[in-house]
Amino acid sequence: MEQTGTVVVEKVGDKSTVTRCYSKYPLKFIVPKKLGNSKTDAVWIYTLTYGGGIVSGDSISCDFTIGDGCTTVLTTQASTKVYKSLGSKCSVQVLEARVGNNALLAVIPDPVTCFSTARYTQKQVFRMLSDASLIVVDWVTSGRHESGEKWDFDLYKSTNHIFLEDNEPLLLDTVLLEKGSMPSIVERMQEYQVVAMVIFWGPKMKHIQNQVQEEVRRMMTEQLQFYSPASAQRMKRSSTCCTNKPNFIVSSSVFGPQGKGVVVRIVATTTESVYTFLQHQLAGLEPLLGLSPYH
Amino acid sequence: MKMETDNEREKFSKVEPSVLQWSQWQLLDSILPTGGFAHSLGLESSIQSHLISSHEDLQTFTIHLLHNTGSLLLPYVYAAATSPDTATWRRLDKALDATLTNEVARKASIAQGSALMRVAAAVFADTEPCIKAMRDSCLGGSRMNFHHAPVFGLVCGLLGMDSATAQRGYMFITMRDVISAATRLNLVGPLGAAVMQHRIALLAEEIVIKWMDRSVEDACQVAPLLDTVQGCHAYLFSRLFCS
Repeated sequence: MEQTGTVVVEKVGDKSTVTRCYSKYPLKFIVPKKLGNSKTDAVWIYTLTYGGGIVSGDSISCDFTIGDGCTTVLTTQASTKVYKSLGSKCSVQVLEARVGNNALLAVIPDPVTCFSTARYTQKQVFRMLSDASLIVVDWVTSGRHESGEKWDFDLYKSTNHIFLEDNEPLLLDTVLLEKGSMPSIVERMQEYQVVAMVIFWGPKMKHIQNQVQEEVRRMMTEQLQFYSPASAQRMKRSSTCCTNKPNFIVSSSVFGPQGKGVVVRIVATTTESVYTFLQHQLAGLEPLLGLSPYH
Repeated sequence: MKMETDNEREKFSKVEPSVLQWSQWQLLDSILPTGGFAHSLGLESSIQSHLISSHEDLQTFTIHLLHNTGSLLLPYVYAAATSPDTATWRRLDKALDATLTNEVARKASIAQGSALMRVAAAVFADTEPCIKAMRDSCLGGSRMNFHHAPVFGLVCGLLGMDSATAQRGYMFITMRDVISAATRLNLVGPLGAAVMQHRIALLAEEIVIKWMDRSVEDACQVAPLLDTVQGCHAYLFSRLFCS
């Protein structure tokens, strides 16, 4: 696939600097000169698509090189909309990033929103050198759910691969939500309108990932402690539909050698609740990034 | 190692299909001491999260779980069953370890796979000594996790089972374990569970047909709600199961 965009970030005079930035239609990069705390060494890159979203059949491929010791943030200005598919065409977005020694890449976009009948796949491949750090937020909403479009798209597939040196696979994850010869997406997702995943890896993430693990444990233990088989029996006998389903479910797991990485998975009934969670949990990144994510 | 395996396989292509059935049934029987009864496959966590409160909910959950098993794990069973050699097994085990990012599911897979390999090595020691040999060569500091799906496929392949039967068998034991967990969690009685199992079997066959014979590169999960909720197992206040 021909490159739609290329960015290289390197240290120039001890500061993370974009030394190469190329993009062509339908992709555009915006690299603000000054953002947040100017003492923090971090480059923020906003990706935009012309037309405000991904059009049927669009094929976007980006390559990022984050040099040793650099900090780079990749984000969006708004939710990535994927418009309806014309002629069953699929839109594809591919990102490949190499993160250098002691560098940090933060991929913190707004969620993907697929409109009715949309067909979309995305693949993100991260190649990490030793001591590289990474945080990736990957999330999707059910569509324009306020307008009643709930999980009405035809295909959404998101792949995240993380490799260490020598092509050692660290994380291989693919989520597939497809309309077809199986229970509908709506049935699989029930009342939940958002699916999100946050991946933490590397020495610079150690502190925040421990905090997040603890916070998730505290939240969910509190939510789950009121369950008892007796209350469940009462629910079963009740003629009214069970309204005890939680609005927000989150779990966190360690992964990788010596459990050094953390992956957090979320399902929620509102997009806002996930924004709030991310704002709160990732606030600790402000010293590293110069700005607090999702504010 | 591979030559030994080839010789063994040659020997077993001459085994009577009816004799092979006895090994097959033993492998799928819940009485085989592989510790499957300790895992609810996310059922216990789903119940405590109020996502399941009726027989209909249980049936729906089971169907979604079987689809996820098909999309995520059948490729590993298929690959191991068609190439039951150490090099393939190592590659599959490593890939699955990177794929099962859900800690609860990952640990359950390792526990069940280890147990199955140990049991298979002992049970089939006379007829398939290569199972024990392969297991021994991977114990110790060799970074083999003994994940369940590849081990299951490997054992089936070494026994001379065709890959379709192996994949169908894996789907069967998944369904068997979740329905068994449902009875122990008092969601359904033993007879109701047996009735449900047969009812779901027709759908399970369609699910196997849909997801069988795919490559590991195409492995994916299709039920993120189930995955997230299963990951909450460690937060449960009181639990009967390990996962």
